[in-house]
Amino acid sequence: MTRGSAGAAVLVLVLAPPLLTSNPFLLHLTITVLLWTLLGAAWNLLGGFAGQVSFGHSTFFGVGAYTTMILYLKGGLAPWYGMVLGGMVAVLVSLPIGLICFRLRGPYFSLSTLAVAEIVRLVALNWEGLTNGPVGLLITTLPRVGWGGRTLDWESKAPFYYMIAVLALASMLATYRLSRARLGAYLLAIREDEDAAESVGIDTVRAKVLTLALSAFFTGLGGGFYGLYFRYVDPDAVFPIALSVEMVFIAVVGGLATVIGPVIGAVFLTTIGEMFRERFLVGHLIFYGLFMMLVIRYLPEGIWGGARRAWAKRP
Amino acid sequence: MPLLTVTDLTKDFGGLRAVSHLSFDAEPGEILGLIGPNGAGKTTVFNLVTGFLRPTAGRILLAGRSVVGLRPHAITRRGIARTFQVVKPFPKLSVRENVTLAAFCHEAARRRAETLAAQVLERVGLQDKLDSRAADLTLGEQKRLEIARALATDPRLLLLDEPMGGLNPREVNAACVLVEQIRADGVSVILVEHVMKAIMRISNRIVVIHHGEKIADGPPGRVVNDPGVIAAYLGTRVV
Repeated sequence: MTRGSAGAAVLVLVLAPPLLTSNPFLLHLTITVLLWTLLGAAWNLLGGFAGQVSFGHSTFFGVGAYTTMILYLKGGLAPWYGMVLGGMVAVLVSLPIGLICFRLRGPYFSLSTLAVAEIVRLVALNWEGLTNGPVGLLITTLPRVGWGGRTLDWESKAPFYYMIAVLALASMLATYRLSRARLGAYLLAIREDEDAAESVGIDTVRAKVLTLALSAFFTGLGGGFYGLYFRYVDPDAVFPIALSVEMVFIAVVGGLATVIGPVIGAVFLTTIGEMFRERFLVGHLIFYGLFMMLVIRYLPEGIWGGARRAWAKRP
Repeated sequence: MPLLTVTDLTKDFGGLRAVSHLSFDAEPGEILGLIGPNGAGKTTVFNLVTGFLRPTAGRILLAGRSVVGLRPHAITRRGIARTFQVVKPFPKLSVRENVTLAAFCHEAARRRAETLAAQVLERVGLQDKLDSRAADLTLGEQKRLEIARALATDPRLLLLDEPMGGLNPREVNAACVLVEQIRADGVSVILVEHVMKAIMRISNRIVVIHHGEKIADGPPGRVVNDPGVIAAYLGTRVV
């Protein structure tokens, strides 16, 4: 398949859903899957390539969400610009976090990210002047967008769908570019052995901080989109540990350090989550957990990684 | 001017003095043997010179410029490369990729870095293993891979930490030939090794340390007959 035809196929796939269905539930499910794809891909940049397992990515998500909301509600800045600024603020927040947490390695790094995320959540909960505390922030109307006498219908799902589709594709493109770049190779070296990476002249701290910034940017965009789509954020919605953990799951279940993995992880976990919730009103998380354990036990490289291996081994 | 000048180097771990007022030089184009009983502080010296540890006191000059306080990657870029006593390959990456990563040190373009890696791998005799995973190599091959990786950073000084430990006699012989070849190519070598036959054969000069202090420094023939060295290795007669 040539580059051009692959691009065309992707374009058709992306354009199709809102044209095929106006069923709001189906579109909502697709939007959810794409948001999780974006978040899984963002986490994967750092966790998959560099092997730095962060349990604190909700920080960047929440910062992105709050930046978007606050700029719109207090400054009147349209949330689609706010979303990009939210990504940038998440980058700024990631720098000191990286410089602190990357002094630690392995499980100690992971624990420190968890601690930082809790601190940030508590700050958001208590800094009422900025965040409105536990009451949260609510957008009642989105700005009017019109062209040629038509206005965009914010009550339909289609505009949100296209927005998140572009963001999710951008995150996958970034993953692809990283996997081809020298920085991507450095990150694999860091994942394999950090001392050896330093010994061949790789500035491991710089590589990790840069990658965290990139990862934080996409996570912040995801947070901004969340605010825009749900029109409501509060600290428990955008800063919970569960959110960070879900991002880890998506990348791990899909396949670490792969471009396609996060999509597959997002599809599986979203649909399976919904399915279990429907079947087992009580204790659906038990089955969800069981599913996670089976994947990690039998497909340690994730669904996409395992599929690739099986394909390579075919007779 | 010596290539490497170490002056009064001291390293304390809490109350333990691992290296104590150690001074030595390494000249351009020589193989310097660094020997001593287990726990003498040899690997600590390597970690200090390559920036993995920060000295408590003392100076380390590479061609007259201090490298104290630089992080390991910066010291590698200045021209000191090393191998590890317990090998540290990038296990899941291919042999070619292992060395290409090191070639990136001075060559940003992937194609040229890969060419350079292939050339270095040929020098160490791993040209048939380019696409093997590093984890699948034998120990002897992994030690060669580490040397190749260090050479690919284009060093002026190469620190080899027991490159012959755990190898069979034929492999030891091949490793000696390789190290002499590296010197012939213009790279100075500091060699920590317990295989005495090898170190006696290829070193131009030997520094002996014991309890972190230098107890002898000279040509191999003189050093092995030094009473202090014999005492350090075998102990002193009690009766």
